[in-house]
Amino acid sequence: MHGLFKWSSKWWPGVIPLVIFWGIAAWTSTATVEGDLAARSNAALKDTVLDKRRISVDGRDVTFAANAFSEDGRVSAVASVEAVPGVRLVNDETRLVPEAKPFVWSAERDVVRVTLGGNSPLPSSRSKLMEAAKANLGGVEVVDQMGLARGAPLRFDSATALLLDQIGKLKDGRITLTDTKVNLSGMARELGGREAIAAALKNLPEGYSVAVNDIRAPPYVFQAYKDPVALTLTLTGYVPDNNVHAAVVAAAGRKFFSEKVVDNLKASIGAPSGFAAAVVPALGALSRLSTGTLVVSDREVKLSGDALHDAAANQIRGGLGRDFPQGWQYKAEISVKPASAPVDATVCQQLFAELLSKGRIRFESGRADIVSDSAGLLDRLIETAMRCPTVNIEIAGHTDGDGDEAANQTLSEKRAQAVMDYLVRAGLPASRFLPVGYGSTQPLAGNDTEDGKAQNRRIEFVVK
Amino acid sequence: MAALATFFWGWLLTAALLGFGMGWIAVVHRAQAVSKAWMRWLALLAAALVAASFTRIVPGRFGYWLDLFLVMFALYLCGCAIGSWLRDWVVTRSTLAARAAKSAQNDNL
Repeated sequence: MHGLFKWSSKWWPGVIPLVIFWGIAAWTSTATVEGDLAARSNAALKDTVLDKRRISVDGRDVTFAANAFSEDGRVSAVASVEAVPGVRLVNDETRLVPEAKPFVWSAERDVVRVTLGGNSPLPSSRSKLMEAAKANLGGVEVVDQMGLARGAPLRFDSATALLLDQIGKLKDGRITLTDTKVNLSGMARELGGREAIAAALKNLPEGYSVAVNDIRAPPYVFQAYKDPVALTLTLTGYVPDNNVHAAVVAAAGRKFFSEKVVDNLKASIGAPSGFAAAVVPALGALSRLSTGTLVVSDREVKLSGDALHDAAANQIRGGLGRDFPQGWQYKAEISVKPASAPVDATVCQQLFAELLSKGRIRFESGRADIVSDSAGLLDRLIETAMRCPTVNIEIAGHTDGDGDEAANQTLSEKRAQAVMDYLVRAGLPASRFLPVGYGSTQPLAGNDTEDGKAQNRRIEFVVK
Repeated sequence: MAALATFFWGWLLTAALLGFGMGWIAVVHRAQAVSKAWMRWLALLAAALVAASFTRIVPGRFGYWLDLFLVMFALYLCGCAIGSWLRDWVVTRSTLAARAAKSAQNDNL
């Protein structure tokens, strides 16, 4: 031992190369050691949920900064880094994610994108929301402006997933979740969307409730276009249900005696009340136009087109609004079709016969009151009568063979008179018309079938 | 530190070999020995450095470099001790052998 002490006094010369070696070792290994420690520290935190994690290594000392979502999580994260072999010291710069009070989350949709904002409790919730948004919304751009905060209400994930589904049903709008209260505003994408959203909100998780639901429905649109060239009536847009659908199409068939009805209507909920009561008379007004368009948007009815004569234009402008249910608005942009070229008596008779072969002037059963469905046909007859101003016309009334002959005679006379009165009210001189009733004396078909009787009940225009 | 030895084990081995060589030479070296007073001061300095290392008061890279130096220095000292002891053993044995041979020769004469 004494020898060892004696020899050690001569060991000092080796310290000089040792220091040189030490310098080289320090120079070459420091960066490698730091890189290894950083990698292993990050690996140790792989399964720990942290926000804004930052690890820097200086020598063997690790500076660890992160936002943790709970105190336990924060402490265990620091312990994980401390336990990494080779780490000498951990400079703990971790802290807890700030708590949001109230905890607000929002989803906003505009024309081009959906923006998710407010707070999310965990990075996993946040990425889940983004994925769900992208999956739900197809190709719409999704912008993530969410922050992270503590203090989310229970069942936050399922509540926001449900709300995100509703954003897909909006054209534009905003859904905000404030703690457990839901606020909705905006415009539904489709008819029925508002109702679908309201129904879906009933499935919100326990404890959640809707504070304000200001979702508006898109306008309920019904359109009809009368094309005089193609001789079609095209119906597009929505009707409340199949019954109304059938009623509207049937009414169109009655009122448009010479046009083919093209039915492109779809059934959808969300119709304003009194829809059928407004649309049917509006179709009647359209049937009186030479060409025209009817647009029903919510409770607003717009009719535009060309009437066949002045009196019809005035009646359409002024009369239709009175037929509508309470709360409906009516706007008419009616002009008068330029008068057609005059024709001689023979052509005039042909035109009358042609019109009356396509349609028939209808009356209330057993009475001489003209049914409003016949207004379109009558306007055409008036227009034709105006084209041959010099001829006199016999208006011949006929009935079927049912009932008393005297009563039929009287009824046919009254019906002929009613038609004449209608023409006179339209501005034609009474002197040109001669109403005649023939009762059932001139049947066109046998009175033994309903079809035959229907053919026999008629008004004829005979040029004299 | 042991976990990090994979990155600088070559330098540790070098330090130990350097120590072994120095220890080997020191036994017969005629260099000037360090005085006892200096030895005390140096031991004190080494103890202070060890204390600084264990208390981890030297921060960051300097701390790592200190640890690295102390480990290399410790291995150097171990190498020196083994080298000197071995050399001493070899020298002593050859001296004894020489003496035995000499006495045997004298006996023969």
